[in-house]
Amino acid sequence: MGEVSGGHGSPREDGDGARRRERLLARAFVRLADTLSGEFDVVEFLQGLSADSVEIVGAEAASVMLADARGELRLVASSEERMRLLELFEIQSAQGPCLDAFGSGHAVQASGAESRTRWPVFALRASEAGFQALCSVPMRARADIIGALNLFRGSDRPFSDAELEIARAMAQVATIALIQERAIRERGMLAGQLQAALRSRIVIEQAKGMLAEHLSTTVDEAFQLLNRYARDHNRKLTDVARDVVGRKIPHDALARRPETS
Amino acid sequence: MAREDERRARIVAAVTRGGATTRVDQLMQRLCLFAVTELAASGCTLALIVGNELLGTLAGAGRHSSMITDLQFELGEGPCLEAFASGTPVLLPDLGDGVARWPVFAAAAAVPGVRAEFCFPLGVGANRIGVFDLCRDEPGMLSDEQLADALVAADIARDALLYLEDPPGHPGVAALLDVAGVDRIVVHQASGMIAVQLEETPADALARLRAAAFRSGRSIYDIAQDVVERRVRFDG
Repeated sequence: MGEVSGGHGSPREDGDGARRRERLLARAFVRLADTLSGEFDVVEFLQGLSADSVEIVGAEAASVMLADARGELRLVASSEERMRLLELFEIQSAQGPCLDAFGSGHAVQASGAESRTRWPVFALRASEAGFQALCSVPMRARADIIGALNLFRGSDRPFSDAELEIARAMAQVATIALIQERAIRERGMLAGQLQAALRSRIVIEQAKGMLAEHLSTTVDEAFQLLNRYARDHNRKLTDVARDVVGRKIPHDALARRPETS
Repeated sequence: MAREDERRARIVAAVTRGGATTRVDQLMQRLCLFAVTELAASGCTLALIVGNELLGTLAGAGRHSSMITDLQFELGEGPCLEAFASGTPVLLPDLGDGVARWPVFAAAAAVPGVRAEFCFPLGVGANRIGVFDLCRDEPGMLSDEQLADALVAADIARDALLYLEDPPGHPGVAALLDVAGVDRIVVHQASGMIAVQLEETPADALARLRAAAFRSGRSIYDIAQDVVERRVRFDG
């Protein structure tokens, strides 16, 4: 590439550079829109986001932090080992650009002396790791802030407005994709539970019928026997019913009371 | 065309016009009424399904109401079963076009005057729980607006089943299953009894029960009731 320390994004790009960036950007957005595919993996997705944003925004390293159920940030993906250690340090020391972006909901950046004033402990550590310009954009959709995308680079040249704009757009699309994926996953889980409840309902009715026929009882009495067997053997009613239907439990076994047998 | 969230908001407003409700059963009923009044359906049913079996109807509205849904499960064929099995809507603007695929159903549905049917599966991915079943007494495709409304109404029904928590004293989803299942569970009890009589699986016994209903022209529920009350045996 030939530039000094900044890496990929020089302030004035030639046509080839701009076209290359456009191509990368298009590819990244296609990837971001891919949450509906069956094999969606959150970590892999965010790893891709980190790698893409390094290339497109012209950073040296990138990482993504997401808030957990208690609202605390967790490092989910990073483009390199150095970044990973640094971000874990940021969470530990409770100071740095990602925490600020996440807390305020606004993009944050500082480089050189400014970063050392703003985050004395963190900026020093970042500098030791080789990063001078530090930037973080929140991952937010309306009022929901779910995390932050962090971009660091070795030179102290601040991120340009255009670069920040691209970072914001990528973070936003990623946020929407993640929220959508969460909703789909949650719905899928609930639908699975309801489906299982409906299935077990049928199995229980079949088991009642089988027992009633075999033991010459009414279906209500058969249900009592099923319940008692499940209780006595400390098993779930559905599991016992399934074993009765599959003839894995001899039906006579349910007629006997343990204390009298 | 309106954005999906606007459409959703409009339908929610329409079904809560008579007063907001958090009761699943009331909401289901109003969604069926919405289909009848706004989508020109002559019948609409929200049904819970497991495998190939109708577990129960949650709500129904219109002159053809749940009858047309019941019929498909009694016969073991029809657009509802296909929509549920495939997970995609089945649109049948002219029942006559369904004769090749579902000959028995198409003939039987025409008797009470059903001319078109539109079935929307309820569920997420492979986890499906039921269908939103609309029929009409006139042939013809749903307009784009009606189709979009029906899809969103089905989503609302699905989400209500998955998310609504019922206030104390009102039927929750578990109680709803009891209500919905009350006239159908006898089929599965009877299948269990026949399975023991013939030393086969309840699934095979159910197929036998269905065949017996078809041959005799009686409802599968009536025969199942006879089996459970020991008026009919299958091993004699």
